[in-house]
Amino acid sequence: MSATGSAPPAPTRESTTEPGRGPRAPRLGWRDRALRLDVRLMPYVLISPFFLLFLAFGLFPLLFNGVVAFRTWRLDDPTLDGWAGLANFRRLFGDDAFWNALYNTSGIFILSTVPQLLLALIIASLLNRRLRAQTWFRMGALLPYVTPIVASTLVFKVVFERDHGIANWALSFLGLSSAANPIDWHATKTASWIAIATMVNWKWIGYNALLYLGAMQTVPRDVYEAAALDGASQWRQLWRITVPMIRPVVIFTVVLSTIGGLQLFTEPMLYDLNVQGATGGSGGQWQTVAQLIYKVGWKDLNLGYAAAMSWALFLIILVITLANALLTNRLGGGRK
Amino acid sequence: MQRLWSRALRAVAVGTAAVVLAACSGNSGGGSGDKIQLKINFWGDFGLTQLKPKYEALHPNIRIVLNSGEYNAQHEDLQKKLIAGSGAPDIAAIDEGFIVSFRSQSDKFVNLLDRGAAQYESKYLPWKWKLSLSPDGKTQIGLGTDVGGQAMCYRTDLFQAAGLPTSRDEVSKLWPTWPDFIRVGQQYTARTGKKFVDSATNIFNPVLSQQPVGFFSPDEKLQMDGGPKVAFDTATAVIDAGLSANLVSFQTGWDQGFVNNSFAVLACPAWMLGHIKDTAPGTNGKWDIAAIPGGGGNWGGSFLTLPKQGKHVKEAYELLEWLVQPAQQIEIFKEVGNLPSQPALYTDPALATFTNPFFSGAPVGQIFGATAMKLQPVYQGKKAGPSRVATENVLRQVEAGQLKGSEAWAEAVRQAQKAAQG
Repeated sequence: MSATGSAPPAPTRESTTEPGRGPRAPRLGWRDRALRLDVRLMPYVLISPFFLLFLAFGLFPLLFNGVVAFRTWRLDDPTLDGWAGLANFRRLFGDDAFWNALYNTSGIFILSTVPQLLLALIIASLLNRRLRAQTWFRMGALLPYVTPIVASTLVFKVVFERDHGIANWALSFLGLSSAANPIDWHATKTASWIAIATMVNWKWIGYNALLYLGAMQTVPRDVYEAAALDGASQWRQLWRITVPMIRPVVIFTVVLSTIGGLQLFTEPMLYDLNVQGATGGSGGQWQTVAQLIYKVGWKDLNLGYAAAMSWALFLIILVITLANALLTNRLGGGRK
Repeated sequence: MQRLWSRALRAVAVGTAAVVLAACSGNSGGGSGDKIQLKINFWGDFGLTQLKPKYEALHPNIRIVLNSGEYNAQHEDLQKKLIAGSGAPDIAAIDEGFIVSFRSQSDKFVNLLDRGAAQYESKYLPWKWKLSLSPDGKTQIGLGTDVGGQAMCYRTDLFQAAGLPTSRDEVSKLWPTWPDFIRVGQQYTARTGKKFVDSATNIFNPVLSQQPVGFFSPDEKLQMDGGPKVAFDTATAVIDAGLSANLVSFQTGWDQGFVNNSFAVLACPAWMLGHIKDTAPGTNGKWDIAAIPGGGGNWGGSFLTLPKQGKHVKEAYELLEWLVQPAQQIEIFKEVGNLPSQPALYTDPALATFTNPFFSGAPVGQIFGATAMKLQPVYQGKKAGPSRVATENVLRQVEAGQLKGSEAWAEAVRQAQKAAQG
């Protein structure tokens, strides 16, 4: 912003000063060059803080992590040191803990992303109508997003407690749970995945709904009027008009929630009864890949192997995100 | 509307700035004053809260910072800081479950023998002194605080309601062995419909500590078929008999269990007394202490060490030396129950005649002093800590009904092996 702001006045000054002071060219040349430098270089200087920070805290760790992945690096035994070649990656393929974590991650990912985006779409289309207290509803949708993730997770943990939890109390009215035989939300994969997916959904539905709502408001009203005249139902309008017309935003949310979902860390971490454990339950029922990386690196103190795992996760996210973006692009009659 | 927003934003901005400024000045304020800060990292209750003001009064130039954390996390954190070369506390507590791994890195700790700690060797239980000695015997990395002689804590009010005897001698006679203990538990659950013990892991650990060999043989080989198998079978027998409340120890649900009377007994090494008192002050006078089934065993007990990277080694050693003096050790015992590891204190009248009012006036000095003299410690391998965590997690899966019988044991072996390899 400041770069474009400083740019316009410079040429005008240049053009007014140059002809009048023609004879004294050498000194002017210097000022001229300084000015030109200012115009040319300043934008880069002004945007450099971001890139410098990105270099230091983004790119460098990423590349260094790649180096560490090919080394043996154990904090509990510093004497084990040196190049490991592909050993870390080979171990990865045979490590059932990694495959279990990947399975959990994708399970929780599907349980959270699919309902999350569908519900967000429906809520957005509801918010897009004339409502009383419109602003109130829209702000309300954003409230979970504003809540600190640690705070909300700790509350959800109490909700999903086995012995005195609210979830079991509510389910007992449906006959799904009882005091004698309560659902242990930490015991099985299904139960724990649902619990964690609920936290993720709760947090992100409103955020995505607002993104969709913003896009929906740019869709011209007369398209809907025409469709309504032709007798298209609300549901049909949503899928045949709204979704195709807001496709760029849909792709954006799919990509973002894919990346976020596959890196899920805080919720599964804090959901554990022993928050410091990082095991994702007594048998790794809900241990995600990000959690496993943390455990291998900072609890088992095996940094080389953890780095290899991070790179594997990076590649997996890349592939799945691309696949999702392509799939979404076809949604509602995409051109490609 | 617009103006309202911008005014609100400005207010937020000013507020944030104020907080940031306050934080900054807070930091610099802590550093000034020319006091030497000594940081102690530990877990649970070391009885330091009561001693801190005393020492600071004696040494006005010292400020003690107590940093309590989770048991496993504190040890992992210390390991990281030792390798990183900075960030370790001035005094780090280490549990016996991790001491073998740290004593083999003795070059990273201050050698207390250089500071004159040799004079204390004769005062300590010989095995306790040796536990924190480097393999070559030339470096002493820590001085022992407590040992975990064991007893069985039980709730007299709940026992009475179930028609069981309540006096500690009679209760001790109920369960000379672990099978007897399970039978008593079955009577209790049949009569009350409530669970008897807090968790299977708090059966596994005391039973394991009574075995001649633990997870590792002295040549660092994982031996699951020895002690761990016996302890695991006892723990699963407790689960199968329906006695366990399936609470994860030292976590919120467990703490609530104390208050909600979710269990009637708890295996208690001396250091557990302080925890019970801190967690459930409302149960004052409702606990008593009987003998533990199977007799004896040492569960836990810690050391205080000085990482070499500390900036105030001299002052830290003075504090450490002060903490292990009889007066302080006895005060810790009275306050939180941690049993000193210096046998002369067991016959000290101040300790031997001490009765704990919280535990119905049980003569804790006598009870634990007697158990400590008979202790035969189990060798703890370098990876005893992680192996224990892995096995405990398998037990929790059994409690949750996710694993059964022989399958459970096979899984425990597999997980412990994995943990041992890291």
